[in-house]
Amino acid sequence: MMPRHHSSGFSNGYPRADTFEISPHRFQPRATVPLHKKRKRTAIRIGIVVAIIVLLIFWFGQPKSVASLISLGILSGYEDLKLETVRYYDLTNVQGSARGWEREERILLCVPLRDAEQHLPMFFSHLKNFTYPHSLIDLAFLVSDSKDRTLQVLSDNLEAIQADADPKQPYGEISIIEKDFGQKVNQDVESRHGFAAQASRRKLMAQARNWLLSAALRPYHSWVYWRDVDVETAPFTILEDLMRHNKDVIVPNVWRPLPDWLGGEQPYDLNSWQESETALALADTLDEDAVIVEGYAEYATWRPHLAYLRDPYGDPDMEMEIDGVGGVSILAKAKVFRSGVHFPAFSFEKHAETEGFGKMAKRMRFSVVGLPHYTIWHLYEPSVDDIKHMEEMERERIAREKEEEDRKLKEQQIKEEFGDANSQWEQDKQQMQDLKLQDQGSNKEAGLNQGAAAKAAGAIDGQKAN
Amino acid sequence: MARPLGSVRLKKANSSTLLLGAVLCIFIIIFLVSPSSPASAGRLSNIVSAQHHLSPPTSPYKSSRSGVQGPPPVTRYDLNKVTVTADPIKNQEHILILTPMARFYQEYWDNLLRLSYPHELITLGFILPKTKEGNQATAALQQQIQKIQNHGAEKDRFKSIIILRQDFDPAVVSQDESERHKLGNQKARREVMAKARNSLLFTTLGPSTSWVLWLDADIVESPPTLIQDLASHDKPVIVANCYQKYYDPETKKMAERPYDFNSWQDSETALKLAEQMGPDDILLEGYAELATYRTLMAYMSNPGSPKDLAVPLDGVGSTALLVKADVHRDGAMFPAFSFYHLIESEGFAKMAKRLGWQPYGLPNYKVYHYNE
Repeated sequence: MMPRHHSSGFSNGYPRADTFEISPHRFQPRATVPLHKKRKRTAIRIGIVVAIIVLLIFWFGQPKSVASLISLGILSGYEDLKLETVRYYDLTNVQGSARGWEREERILLCVPLRDAEQHLPMFFSHLKNFTYPHSLIDLAFLVSDSKDRTLQVLSDNLEAIQADADPKQPYGEISIIEKDFGQKVNQDVESRHGFAAQASRRKLMAQARNWLLSAALRPYHSWVYWRDVDVETAPFTILEDLMRHNKDVIVPNVWRPLPDWLGGEQPYDLNSWQESETALALADTLDEDAVIVEGYAEYATWRPHLAYLRDPYGDPDMEMEIDGVGGVSILAKAKVFRSGVHFPAFSFEKHAETEGFGKMAKRMRFSVVGLPHYTIWHLYEPSVDDIKHMEEMERERIAREKEEEDRKLKEQQIKEEFGDANSQWEQDKQQMQDLKLQDQGSNKEAGLNQGAAAKAAGAIDGQKAN
Repeated sequence: MARPLGSVRLKKANSSTLLLGAVLCIFIIIFLVSPSSPASAGRLSNIVSAQHHLSPPTSPYKSSRSGVQGPPPVTRYDLNKVTVTADPIKNQEHILILTPMARFYQEYWDNLLRLSYPHELITLGFILPKTKEGNQATAALQQQIQKIQNHGAEKDRFKSIIILRQDFDPAVVSQDESERHKLGNQKARREVMAKARNSLLFTTLGPSTSWVLWLDADIVESPPTLIQDLASHDKPVIVANCYQKYYDPETKKMAERPYDFNSWQDSETALKLAEQMGPDDILLEGYAELATYRTLMAYMSNPGSPKDLAVPLDGVGSTALLVKADVHRDGAMFPAFSFYHLIESEGFAKMAKRLGWQPYGLPNYKVYHYNE
């Protein structure tokens, strides 16, 4: 028989008979590596596994999703969910009011550009100074058929504005739209304003404006402001000033400064006018595609022009109902454009572009108003005639200066020739006086000397007479 | 016992558990990556999406609710690169489907969803009046949109959807067919309709749009290839023939009859009539009071002639009208006033012609109008 118990009375094979035991099942830790070492090893193992997984994923492509995984799927996953495809706009909220800046009404500022690089610095200086909150203004530019660096200069300047440290400088949405219409017409002043080119030029300009507007107008715009890039001087508050009138379409008076020899200043924009009976009668006689253009002797319309009604001391808030508008600076409510009024690129009631725009707005019973005494100044670009005249004047000036020079030279010569004689005379006079003093000493010599002096004086007189 | 629990657990972990964990990790990662990658890099994200809510509504945008945004970037759009061709799918051309809506018809929506043109190239634009009826229609429309854009299959989702509420009152309070078509109500009704169309068009036409399809809210049946078929003709303005299906009590069968009379070729009589009219009067088609003797496309349909026959037109209806975006960009719009004694879509055809774009019609290509 096997003994049931060890002598020590334990069954777990612990032959420690000779040790003193208090507890029969004392906990005995396994002989293992220390705890911190073990942790380290686990971390290394996990690291290796993760590295292998990441490598595997990279191996099978899609680094994008890896990025999302590393960022715990929060960034991209969340953003995917927020891809907004449905937008809702209530157009009754964007009617445009007299104090738009208080109601946070957005303005779309449209600028058509072609070969305008040289004017851009001036334009951007205006842009910086607008007092209407910049964040409420969206900018839209159409660059068409440009051969210079308009596009590059434009986008560099705009990037700079958007990155401006001053939080009041950056604008809202900025779109640069490129579209070439294949325009053959030159942009220099003479060909731009020649009568023959006007109709087709105006139609092309209208087309450009329509492309710009249709691509940039959004449901959140309350106002649309058209501004030419070559405005030289305008009040910083022009947007608020025009808006305060709360009209559907409103334009300021546009003049330009001139050199003094041309009178100092001149009305520039003749496209803002009131319709006249003569013009209506004239329109009836023209064929369907004809376009009446203002400011040319060919069409005597006898219309009252906004430009000619200016009084420098007049009330700048005075309004005048007009029918045709000029395009240098137009503020219009966006609802005018939403209802379909645009810049006709065809002959609409014998007008095109901005004048046709005014006509069409009137046709749809919108208010079209001009401010005769509120003036902005267009850049003065000398015309070919002016340049000729200026060359003429330059030549005249040079001739005049040459003449002056010649005259001076002659005088100098004369002075040189006879200056000696004068001083000689002075010397003689001095001598004579000295002699006179000596005379008083010796009367005997006096008679002789006086005779000589009289002789000398006579000789001088003779020379002078010559 | 004073031993921390964590280290006990760590101690128990051996290589087999770690391996299991790793396998599980890989599994989870694969699970995470695989469904999200086709979705995020999928159809809708292929399209350029902007980062800002001020971006053109013809594209979706990624909104970040995570705080302050910087000023919007300077964006360049090269419209010289926007193509308008006879094969719009191949050239990935974006299309804008515009619908002025007074009532929501489920049949219209279902028909829209059936269009086979790639939905990720389609932007939908709606304009609805701010009346009680308009509110109902908006609610119904939004419900359907929600269903498709949020829960629909990826291929059914549209690129973007714009809903506008119009800022003027509808001319006729009732949208009933009989009331709507009275001659006296027509001018005011079509004036408002023209304004609605222009508001919708000029605020939604984006820089990337190649085509605009005008599809009326009461078109309930059209071929699914409507866009491709109309575009394949490569015409600046092209209109399908709009018919209406009805139950014929005599033959006890469904039959169809011409519905839209706004697509026509001009006649001498009509031109003479127009000459005698006042400057604000308009000439309307389909009314006995005004016999114009114009050649109506509605009656040109002939089962014998080819389906793709295209005829030049002087006036067009806008029930299913495909327009090259260039035509609208040039300024062709829907006059809300008497333009050559024409108004709305007929005036639009005239304006397109004045700008040098010739409209066409397809007499044998039919779409069907809702029957009340």
